[in-house]
Amino acid sequence: MPDWRKITGLRLGEELTQHLDDRYDDLIAGGIPADEAIRRVAGEVEGWTPAVPFEWMALAADVRYGLRLLRLNAGFTIVAILTLALAIGATTTIFSVVDGVLLRPFPYADMDRITILGETTRSGLRMSVAWPNFLDWREQQDVFEHFGVYRGSTVNLTGGDQPERLIAASVSSEVCPALGISAAVGRTFAADEDRPTAGRVVMISDRLWRSHFSADPSIVGRTMTLDGRAHTIVGVMPPGMRFPSRLTDVWLPLGLIVSTFPSNRGNHPGLFVVAKLRRAASVDRATVEMDAIARRLEKQYPLNNADHTVSVTPYYEQVVGSVRPTLVMLLAAVGFVLLIACANMASLMLARSDRRQREIALRSALGASRFRVVQQLLVESLLLSLAGGALGAVVAFVSVRALVASKPSTIPRIDLLTVDTRVLAFTALVSIVTGLLFGIAPALRASSLDLLSALKDAARSSAGPTVRRLRSTLVVAEIALALVLLVGALLTLKSLDRLTAIELGFSPAHVVTMRVTLPASSYPNAPRWTTFHQELVRRVAALPSIQSAGLNSDVPLGGGGSESDVMFEGQPPPKSPKEEGTTCLFQASTPDYLKVMGIPLIAGRRFTDRDSADTTFVAIVDETLVRRFFPGSDPIGKRIAFEFRGTPADPQPIWREIVGVVRHVRHYGLATEPPFVQVYTPLAQLPLYFQDRRPTMVLVAQTALDAESVVSTIRREVAAIDRDVPVYGVQTMQAYVDQSTEQPRMSVTLLGAFSLLALVLAALGIYGVLSYLVTLRRQEIGIRMALGATRRDVLWLIVGHGMSLTAAGIAIGLAASWLLTESMRKLLYGVSPHDPVTYAAIALVLATIAAAASYVPGRRAVGVDPTVTLRAD
Amino acid sequence: MQYKRDGMLDRELKKGSAELLILSLLEAQPRHGYELSKLIETQSGGAIVFRVASLYPLLYRLEKRGWIVGRWVEKAGQRRRRYYRLTSAGERVLASQRDTWREFVDAISQIAGVKHA
Repeated sequence: MPDWRKITGLRLGEELTQHLDDRYDDLIAGGIPADEAIRRVAGEVEGWTPAVPFEWMALAADVRYGLRLLRLNAGFTIVAILTLALAIGATTTIFSVVDGVLLRPFPYADMDRITILGETTRSGLRMSVAWPNFLDWREQQDVFEHFGVYRGSTVNLTGGDQPERLIAASVSSEVCPALGISAAVGRTFAADEDRPTAGRVVMISDRLWRSHFSADPSIVGRTMTLDGRAHTIVGVMPPGMRFPSRLTDVWLPLGLIVSTFPSNRGNHPGLFVVAKLRRAASVDRATVEMDAIARRLEKQYPLNNADHTVSVTPYYEQVVGSVRPTLVMLLAAVGFVLLIACANMASLMLARSDRRQREIALRSALGASRFRVVQQLLVESLLLSLAGGALGAVVAFVSVRALVASKPSTIPRIDLLTVDTRVLAFTALVSIVTGLLFGIAPALRASSLDLLSALKDAARSSAGPTVRRLRSTLVVAEIALALVLLVGALLTLKSLDRLTAIELGFSPAHVVTMRVTLPASSYPNAPRWTTFHQELVRRVAALPSIQSAGLNSDVPLGGGGSESDVMFEGQPPPKSPKEEGTTCLFQASTPDYLKVMGIPLIAGRRFTDRDSADTTFVAIVDETLVRRFFPGSDPIGKRIAFEFRGTPADPQPIWREIVGVVRHVRHYGLATEPPFVQVYTPLAQLPLYFQDRRPTMVLVAQTALDAESVVSTIRREVAAIDRDVPVYGVQTMQAYVDQSTEQPRMSVTLLGAFSLLALVLAALGIYGVLSYLVTLRRQEIGIRMALGATRRDVLWLIVGHGMSLTAAGIAIGLAASWLLTESMRKLLYGVSPHDPVTYAAIALVLATIAAAASYVPGRRAVGVDPTVTLRAD
Repeated sequence: MQYKRDGMLDRELKKGSAELLILSLLEAQPRHGYELSKLIETQSGGAIVFRVASLYPLLYRLEKRGWIVGRWVEKAGQRRRRYYRLTSAGERVLASQRDTWREFVDAISQIAGVKHA
């Protein structure tokens, strides 16, 4: 007997081998030559794949069959796949942002126990921590196991081809333990480096280590020149270390600056606390305990600590808290789009399964179980959704790339975003769920057909009413979902509109800004420091490409500012330092600053070169200060003070005479401007605070050219005065304004796109259902027309049906919007989430589009020729 | 066959009819696989041929559904063979499938105008 296993290459088992033996014997007995008999017998097992269970073979057949059907209905298939690709692609894009920004673990150990502490008034005005307060907190607290303090700064790195400005942070030895970070190379700071005796040492970032030191593993002990002084590198941070900012490149020991911290509790020198909660402690408990400490300090130091408490914010909140509401809203919106797409697909599949009734009935009659029929139909919907998902992944890949490339500055961790296996797994999951969602109802319905009636009624769609009801429900749902999206999008758009309409108080057009920081080592005293800046502004203003130039100690919307309590001559000093309206933002400017920035002068004069250190100290104030403290009287010539000499017990105000009044400038943000009044001083009459801690100056220049082209000429001017001073942070004023509307603009763009997609899908849904209705009711329409119904009656029959579905959808959608948009309240500026105009406008738009979508099938119904339809049956 | 172009329908038809054929052949007495394939081929005058690749998956499926059971039987002087017999569930299915087929064939005949043989 031939060895069948050798011949066929299959492990056939006893029963099949025997079958082949029997067959072979019969063939031989019938006079067939042996080789021919072997060939025939082997042919019997062709396609025999015993390793694959029968269910899998059936599934494979279903897939092949499904693919063929989809190929035959290319039009349907393309529309379906594109719809799904857009919906799944959008969902994947937003998910990858949510995943990358909110969900992905941070590189810090026990992220949930890391907290940031700051000082705050009980009314919520936040500020940095006074140094003596920090010492008391650390001494008295018992809820944190590590209690570090840090301050962000910048340093000049020299010694290379060009001076560079690096983002730096002064950190105490407890900062790294609080974050659970240890050095990748070398060490972190020791406790004795928190004291003024600390050596000039530095830890550097992984990025700097690679870019400037070629990742030298023996870097410890090498030196780098920061602010003109040699610092010894003691450690390299791991690549994940992005504290306090993701751009921080060098960390300096707190000890190097600790002696500069004022002992006055009213002074907040930019310090914040990073602390790790003990395992048993919670943020709530920490807040209570820190508040108890704050109350004790309040009693001890009422002048500066009155009304102050401690804010305890989880670090996770600090990083992502501001962006989370936007992302959650976008995720919800994109989920709606996906649901609408599902509803649309389900509707299409229902219509399709209806047309295939006969085929399905026949297959059931021939022994296909209900399970097999459902499986077959689900395989088809899954093929569609998986194809849509695959294309959607491409859509997501492209849009995530575009999003990362646009470098949104207000979304944390966006630079880490990728479409990776985790995101792709999500896409696959969404695709499968989508396919099941839109496939299950049509499949179950189709498989429960009454076989015989379906066979008998083969030529006509008989299950109309159920399918029609199902599809109508889906259309109502689509309209409702689309309405919610559109309302959300329009509310966001209105809010953005209100935001951009805010009076800035300055004119950002054609203004280029850049920062210049002079190292303390080469500019040890204020006069030299001032002279450099005066020379700089004189040279830059003389450049042919520059219309005018000025310097200021801050830039509006640039984040940060120096504040102090302000008092008025003839009025008693403020009792509570944070009493409303008594805090002023103070800035030091050169004479032309206000002009360059287009800040309008309301009364008095601007600064001139004659306002020098030897003349009367002057100030320009903003309109809000005048309104609040000099209502109805002329402020010019009145005297104010925001700084004091002497002791806290016996303050000696430094008086400045008001010489001018200007518009209030949005300094901190468009929607989030704290109630601070604004005071400008001449650079030549530098405030005491700036003499101690000289600020980074911002050079502003009016130019018709673009930023890039003027920067190089300005760099040359700076280098001509001092080649070790870097120019950095180049940004147009318009870019600062744009950044402050970045998240709302992103929301508007994405929500707009999503709701347009939703609108198109909903319109297609209405169109599809009504076309189907016209087909179903062709006979009825024919009879009606034969009995004298006018074209108008028939048109109304169809359009009216469409409009009644639309009305139901709009009603549900309006109610849902009312409930859902409440959660957007925090994201909206100047517009209520229940803005009636928005709701009415969207309802009207939807109704109009629905009417248009109903009109097309309505026209077709009117075109029905009664004689033809009646004869057809 | 009218539905030849439609591979799936062809498959279902064959499958539906094959089940009926096998159940019918097992109604009288237990038979082994090779015997079943020979009977189908000869009794249909060679019109229906089941190859190993389609016959055995079908037998295993019917067995899994509890309509038939297979049992190894050794007869004197012969190799042992696996014989399949109809279960009582199988008998009920056979009866109902016969009805369905009758109705189906009637329906087709009415539409297609085919007379009974």
